Amino acid sequence: MKGSSEHGETSKAPLGRGVSKGVSVLDLILRFIAIIGTLASAIAMGTTNETLPFFTQFIRFKAQYSDLPTLTFFVVANSIVCAYLILSLPLSILHIIRSRAKYSRLLLIFLDVAMLALVTAGASAAAAIVYLAHKGNVRANWLAICQQFDSFCERISGSLIGSFGAMVVLVLLILLSAIALARR
Amino acid sequence: MSTSEAGAPATVIPIDDVGGRHHGAADATGKAPVVATAPPAAAAAPAATTTTTTAPRKTAGLPFFRRADRGSRCVALIDFVLRVAAFGPTLAAAIATGTSDETLSVFTQFFQFHARFDDFPALLFFMVANAIAAGYLVLSLPFSAVVFLRPQAIGLRHLLLVCDTIMVALLTAAAAAAAAIVDLAHSGNQRANWVPICMQFHGFCQRTSGAVVASFLAVLVFIFLIILAAFAIRKR
Repeated sequence: MKGSSEHGETSKAPLGRGVSKGVSVLDLILRFIAIIGTLASAIAMGTTNETLPFFTQFIRFKAQYSDLPTLTFFVVANSIVCAYLILSLPLSILHIIRSRAKYSRLLLIFLDVAMLALVTAGASAAAAIVYLAHKGNVRANWLAICQQFDSFCERISGSLIGSFGAMVVLVLLILLSAIALARR
Repeated sequence: MSTSEAGAPATVIPIDDVGGRHHGAADATGKAPVVATAPPAAAAAPAATTTTTTAPRKTAGLPFFRRADRGSRCVALIDFVLRVAAFGPTLAAAIATGTSDETLSVFTQFFQFHARFDDFPALLFFMVANAIAAGYLVLSLPFSAVVFLRPQAIGLRHLLLVCDTIMVALLTAAAAAAAAIVDLAHSGNQRANWVPICMQFHGFCQRTSGAVVASFLAVLVFIFLIILAAFAIRKR
């Protein structure tokens, strides 16, 4: 009885350790994907600068991301999340090497949740403003500025994709860390 | 010789951790072999030892406050209380946004004189997301109660963690979008020629601002719930 239980444990241990290492490696890969997403979003939004060749009476002829404070917040939030993800790479590599690290995984989950909230807030606020720029608002008499600024609008719309992708990846990272915590 | 006297089941010795699985099983035959292994020399009075050890088991039969479970039950209780606490702000935000409807007594050439949450898609999304979050919190209360009653149900904890993470993302997105629109309504934008409508619509603005603040409070509580769940899942 004791011998069979021991045999059962040793046959399960390499498989369990393999799955844990696989989870940690997947964690590292997802972090890289999220870094690329947030970096691309921040750069794409930060380099928006469009000057129209003509000017009307009501609308200025230059558009930058800094003209809309929400887009500035978007750039800042994505930069912060990108920096955090780069700094958390060593911790992730440590988890591949040492699967027994319990408290560093807890710390990583805590920081991941905080960063998820930040990146979601930035991306969502920017999405609301971009939607407003595309459609305008009849009730509040807010004009749709995309009718004039075509390439500016395209760029700010496209930069949202990377940020939302990074948000999904962060959710997956949190779930992976929770699975790794339960297995260890 | 003395161990064979204690009975044939003495060879099958299931030494679990204290009160791990056999909660209410006050079986005399179940207890006898466990007791028989511990003092193998005291075979002279196995009946006396079984009676003295089963008697306190019966009086302290409440499975609630066992020392090994106390930590995880405490965490599960905090989890339950936090869910009830988060339900208030989300429901209040949804209702406040849903009933925001302001009609001005004056009307100018450029302004429409009626403002509702319908007119802003971001506020509509905000209200729907808060309603979903409030409904989810109510539905997850029984699961949280089950986790409190059975601290070894790790699958349930995982499920709650997954759903909480998705809810955090949804609620933060809705709150941030509404905050962007409300901030625009308060301060306007000179470059895009967007007029701050809060100058006219006082009540509408106050209501939606309050709702956004309540929603962000609920997001904070949700984040704490996730961290608590992760803390409870870790293997000792």
